[in-house]
Amino acid sequence: MFSFRGCGRWVAASLTKQHHPSSRFSGDSAAPWTPHFDVVVIGGGHAGTEAAAAAARCGSRTLLLTHRVDTIGQMSCNPSFGGIGKGHLMREVDALDGLCSRICDQSGVHYKVLNRRKGPAVWGLRAQIDRKLYKQNMQKEILNTPLLTVQEGAVEDLILTEPEPEHTGKYRVSGVVLVDGSTVYAESVVLTTGTFLRGMIVIGLEMHPAGRLGDQPSIGLAQTLEKLGFVVGRLKTGTPPRIAKESINFSILNKQTPDNPSIPFSFINETVWIKPEDQLPCHLTHTNPQVDEIVLENLHLNCHVKETAKGPRYCPSIESKVLRFPNRLHQVWLEPEGMDSDLIYPQGLSVTLPAELQEKMITCIRGLEKAKMIQPGYGVQYDYLDPRQITPSLETHLVQRLFFAGQINGTTGYEEAAAQGVIAGINASLRVRHKPPFVISRTEGYIGVLIDDLTTLGTNEPYRMFTSRAEFRLSLRPDNADSRLTFRGYKEAGCVSQQRYERATWMKSSLEEGISVLKSIEFPSSKWKNLIPEASISIGKSLPLRALDVLKYEEVDIELLAKAVPEPLRKYTKCRELAERLKIEATYESVLFHQQQEIKEVQRDEALQLPKDLDYLTLRDVSLSHEVREKLHFSRPQTIGAASRIPGVTPAAIINLLRFVKTTQQRQAAMDRLPKTDQHLCNTDKLEDRQL
Amino acid sequence: MWRGLWTLVARAARGPRRPQSVHPPAAEPTSGSTSALRDRNPVIFRPQTLQSVHPPAAELPLGPRPCTRQGSGAPAPGSGATVFALSSGQGRCGIAVIRTSGPASGQALRSLTAPRDLPPARKACLRLLSDPRSGEPLDRALVLWFPGPQSFTGEDCAEFHVHGGPAVVSGVLQALGSVPGLRPAEAGEFTRRAFALGKLSLTEVEGLADLIHAETEAQRRQALRQLDGELSHLCRGWAETLTKALAHVEAYIDFGEDDNLEEGILDRADSEVRELEVALGAHLRDARRGQRLRSGAHVVVAGPPNAGKSSLVNLLSRKPVSIVSPEPGTTRDVLETPVDLAGFPALLSDTAGLREGVGPVEQEGVRRAQKRLEQADLILAVLDASDLASPSSCNFLDTVVMPAGAGSPNGRSQRLLLVLNKSDLLPAGGPDPSADLPPYLLLSCLTGVGTHPQAHHF
Repeated sequence: MFSFRGCGRWVAASLTKQHHPSSRFSGDSAAPWTPHFDVVVIGGGHAGTEAAAAAARCGSRTLLLTHRVDTIGQMSCNPSFGGIGKGHLMREVDALDGLCSRICDQSGVHYKVLNRRKGPAVWGLRAQIDRKLYKQNMQKEILNTPLLTVQEGAVEDLILTEPEPEHTGKYRVSGVVLVDGSTVYAESVVLTTGTFLRGMIVIGLEMHPAGRLGDQPSIGLAQTLEKLGFVVGRLKTGTPPRIAKESINFSILNKQTPDNPSIPFSFINETVWIKPEDQLPCHLTHTNPQVDEIVLENLHLNCHVKETAKGPRYCPSIESKVLRFPNRLHQVWLEPEGMDSDLIYPQGLSVTLPAELQEKMITCIRGLEKAKMIQPGYGVQYDYLDPRQITPSLETHLVQRLFFAGQINGTTGYEEAAAQGVIAGINASLRVRHKPPFVISRTEGYIGVLIDDLTTLGTNEPYRMFTSRAEFRLSLRPDNADSRLTFRGYKEAGCVSQQRYERATWMKSSLEEGISVLKSIEFPSSKWKNLIPEASISIGKSLPLRALDVLKYEEVDIELLAKAVPEPLRKYTKCRELAERLKIEATYESVLFHQQQEIKEVQRDEALQLPKDLDYLTLRDVSLSHEVREKLHFSRPQTIGAASRIPGVTPAAIINLLRFVKTTQQRQAAMDRLPKTDQHLCNTDKLEDRQL
Repeated sequence: MWRGLWTLVARAARGPRRPQSVHPPAAEPTSGSTSALRDRNPVIFRPQTLQSVHPPAAELPLGPRPCTRQGSGAPAPGSGATVFALSSGQGRCGIAVIRTSGPASGQALRSLTAPRDLPPARKACLRLLSDPRSGEPLDRALVLWFPGPQSFTGEDCAEFHVHGGPAVVSGVLQALGSVPGLRPAEAGEFTRRAFALGKLSLTEVEGLADLIHAETEAQRRQALRQLDGELSHLCRGWAETLTKALAHVEAYIDFGEDDNLEEGILDRADSEVRELEVALGAHLRDARRGQRLRSGAHVVVAGPPNAGKSSLVNLLSRKPVSIVSPEPGTTRDVLETPVDLAGFPALLSDTAGLREGVGPVEQEGVRRAQKRLEQADLILAVLDASDLASPSSCNFLDTVVMPAGAGSPNGRSQRLLLVLNKSDLLPAGGPDPSADLPPYLLLSCLTGVGTHPQAHHF
């Protein structure tokens, strides 16, 4: 059904028009013309689809350029989405009305929240996803998105013009040149090339150029970027072999069953498409000394391991695990690839040995004694661009209106890519409409942490999200991503649908009302003890307890409270999500007060903008050491807050930079003829104050 | 179960503060049990939350309490943490000024001057300061209360003008650290707050930036000195324990369920950090004396062999610290002597003459001398005025004197003072004018010519 390759190069336009007759786009005519779009997105992976859909949601006429339409939404590595830290990113992508969470709610085969034993701030929403379903659903979504057109084609070069004088940057991008020589003009271009930039696939000692198994790499584009002066680095990653399902002896392995009920990824879904009892199990097995032996004996046949490019620390190949942690058993999760798939994905067994040795290694493992390898594991080496060359809106410093998102910025993981995709898509669209950029602070979301880490510190190994990277993780929880981001997305970017906005508004006001009701109910602790005998309330103290305090007890939930005090609490049990969120808010109430203080301090520094056109190397009337100048020049921090996070930038340098903030503020104030000087200094409530 | 754990985990991984300057651990506020220290040291756990037997409400009095204003519980708009620091210079002085800035300043002032209430705004009042935990009197001091916005930073500020002894100052700083909501200020933090609230002009900020630079530089050098030898071992061990504990706690949050982390990893981290807390406390109680010895400017006398360094040291300290002889290479080790230079405490170090190609003992002396140079607050570079053209003099000028002054426009270094000794051997015209020298002092240790007003130069 989704084989578009035969239908000509331009697809999706007719679908688009049927559903949205008012659409401004009319590019489906067959006549030759020089296409001109607001936003062109290159790449149809997890970053590209999100970027293209986000730009279109924001109202920009958008073109998605991909090598092959039938690989849009392809999950090229693991058949799962989410996990610790990654689930947070998905919730935030969803809060901005992104795609991956909704698609996962329609395509999962095993939903399980990780880290349940710990606090809800670090729960990791995760699901095994049916590859085929995901791809189908994603393609359906992309091909039905109003204002979004999809074209097959490989991009060879960028069209550059003179820069706009009011912005920094040496060039301005105004379109792309395809391999066949045709051109597409665009106001903004988003590059999401994943592992395709000079991609090389490695199995054993064989290496051949490819972006993904069976796909051509992008070499011309990599050369263009290097010629423009971008600093390019090299990273590697890998994927495990695939095993035939029926050849595995599951009966002797540990079985993991999915959650009941399943927790959906998207805020707008009450539940997922499949009942828990219909979902597929996962199984656990372990490596053993025989596996270590095969790896160690054959290192000479393994050029991927010897390469100097850095691989993902947190998703290492079996070779690096054996080398770094010898004499240990490593977990191997046997994950289903889909409902009707005959393949099993052995997570934790990423390997680049020659194929026959891979099969030998697999059959040493318990449960896999008779396993049949269908496709060998392989490694990929690819170019990435030092992410300190982009701003927090993901636009490059060097080329105006050129945006990078996904693995090209040195990250690893579908969710990290999707998160950057949404931000790049939104900002590419805002840029075209001459609106201020949409930047998420690290006090507002994991997306902010991800982008701030990348753009101020850079990375020299594939960057993976973790909860421990977020210092304000008690506030940045999966449950409240909508109240953190949906309102901003709606008002500032216009990327959020009315329906979602209304739901988030309802949820926010219900939560506020619920919390104030819970605060208003006060009884002596002895009375609470009688009302809720299950709770371990100590009655030593004579102080009255609020219902909110009682809700903090681990064994108390809204249901139990509502039994004790039916009026006015009964109505809060009606909505599962509301009840759970009230419980979480109560749990964190007392500690969040302190975190709010710290957040305000950081926000104060981040409200102090540094002029974008500052030339740190030649700046005369400011005393900065050469080392500090170089660091600032390379990272180009946009705020005092970001500058102070760069290692080696001294407190004295920060004070000197503050002078520039002040000068710029004065200049701006004069321009605006506004005597107010504190507007930059107190952005107390971003949610409410910012208007489109 | 998880409730107890997230509290711990939250506290443990709140993230390190920005590493802006080198603070040797000994420079931290001493009491390990202050809540400010809890806030800053991310891995100090509380058993109450770990065991999760107490209801969450009972956690509050143990942890850092909210800094309430008249018990309202709501943060003031735009509020952040309240910071405190010694605002007057380090070292011995008549009066030391300790300042706080932030919403909890009023509360801090009240808790140190209890049972009396806040003094009238902007009026100096005499109050007895006492430690809010123990009630132990600290000092009788002038206190000032500046409610924002009419204050240095624009926030609520308090000032304590205390008697300048190190014991009083550190006592008051410790007491402030125990007030909920207060933490020690980072370098430049007062200035940044003042700036953010529009309280400083551009020129003022520039001057302050220089000051902060000088201060952090001095701290860096002090840290370098303290990291020498015995103490460095100790500190590195402490740092390792903390890093490991933090890594274990973070691994527990991010990998605990998925991967096969060892059991009891949290309990182990907890007990290790507790042991460290005890060790740090013991060391701090012990190290007080050592710290006083170390305070004061470190002045290092350096130069080529036989320039008269030891003679200068003996002259300045008015006692025969070093053996002097006409033979080059007499001083082989670093000799230290505390001196009082016109009222300023200083530690004077005599070093081996810098030269190459000598025996192993003297070479070690040269190595030690070079290390001292890096750690010095002030270098007295001594040259033989009658021997400026010799290879050892030229080499010294090129490798030590010129690089020190290279950063500044007039070739003058704030850290280095060039002394030309043996003026008695010079002809009437003064030193060789062909040598391109930075500003210098000409004197003779032998005759005492040029040495009398010496104190003014330091």
